[in-house]
Amino acid sequence: MNDLATLRELRPEAPPAELETMRMSARDRFVAGTALKPARPRWRRPVLAGGITTVAAAAGVATALILTSGPGAVLGQHTTGHAGKVVTTAWTVSEDADGTVSIYLQQYADPSGLQQTLQADGVNAIVRAIPYTEQTFLNPDKTIVTPTCNYVTLNDREPLSVQGAVLTVGREALPALFVIHPAAIPPGSALFLAFMVSPPNATGNIAMKPVVLSDDTAPACVPVTTKPASGASAPPIGQKAGSPAPHVLPKAA
Amino acid sequence: MSIDTRASDADLIARSLAEPDLFTAVFNRHSAEILRYVYARLGPDLAEDVTAETFLAAFRGRGNYDGAWADARPWLYGIAMRQISRHRRTEARRLRLLLSAPPDGPAEDHSDRAAERVTAQRLGPQLAAAVAALPRQDRELLLLVAWAELSYAEAATALSTTISAVKARLHRIRVRMRRELGGDYPVDEENDDE
Repeated sequence: MNDLATLRELRPEAPPAELETMRMSARDRFVAGTALKPARPRWRRPVLAGGITTVAAAAGVATALILTSGPGAVLGQHTTGHAGKVVTTAWTVSEDADGTVSIYLQQYADPSGLQQTLQADGVNAIVRAIPYTEQTFLNPDKTIVTPTCNYVTLNDREPLSVQGAVLTVGREALPALFVIHPAAIPPGSALFLAFMVSPPNATGNIAMKPVVLSDDTAPACVPVTTKPASGASAPPIGQKAGSPAPHVLPKAA
Repeated sequence: MSIDTRASDADLIARSLAEPDLFTAVFNRHSAEILRYVYARLGPDLAEDVTAETFLAAFRGRGNYDGAWADARPWLYGIAMRQISRHRRTEARRLRLLLSAPPDGPAEDHSDRAAERVTAQRLGPQLAAAVAALPRQDRELLLLVAWAELSYAEAATALSTTISAVKARLHRIRVRMRRELGGDYPVDEENDDE
């Protein structure tokens, strides 16, 4: 028996909810102390009826809490066209009163849920998982992930003026913040974003900055290991074994 | 456009000199772990304050960060340790609490873990007393290894010392603990040099 492990068992532990509440307060104080600008809009911990603070569960499947904004927060309801917020452990989508939709990404997870949520908020969005392979070298606790294909959108995107009108990037790296102006998305176009849904201990994760496509057809994911054939179609999405396949948008008629 | 979302801490800290906002990513990565450690050391009343102060001190001192360390955890633990040391009385009270009330957590299925928990519950008061009786620097090292689960190399960085010094000190501490707790102390000679 290891004496250090025994000593470890003596370590006092805070209840996870209490710990997360303290962490968020510490973050506020840290940001205030550094005079760094908090992300805008300022994200607050969602508080449920009875004052219970929602807490990110352990890394894993993202679960959604759906809240309307304001004091009358209601669980389990999300009304399209109304200011509201969908909160998961991985991301939060907030539809603001001015019609903008904000995406706050804390983890790259649940692309299909994110796509559905954005669509419910009036953003014609396509969200994909970037397929990857895993490698483990010397340290079994460290996984290196490498994309097996890249979504190529260079020839299928709206001009920069449209990109700028649709998308405001608050922050690209996690926790990322993107603000979407749905009204600026041209009819027939779609907002596309993709990220790797990989294990939490993995390094090498990549994500694509959201881009406005010139149509609402999901772009091809071009294999990175082999030369793509002309007109290659997208391989299965989220091909990591055991992961659910993301929702696939029907192609435009 | 692809972005690397797993830039090293060293990279983020270096870039934060020009773009201070990037330091929030360091906070987001490590604050939960540092907070847990501070909570364990000082309890709920001070955990939030000391964690915030730790990251503020880190932010102010980021210009001195040794970029050779990709992982900022040891550096952050070193700062947290200095912040904790300002609250010795609170920590002493915390240890006294452990003396009277060893933790009682949920049962684990894993047999080794269960054995350690049972031993910890049985030896809790004596172990806590032995930890409390250690000189401050020895206690810091022991808890960095046992509670923060830092490797010897990481603990050496946190304490601004060498790995060999960490090994020697830790060995001395464990010998002392065994002597004070007698035959009840769980001995694991093989791990003395881990």
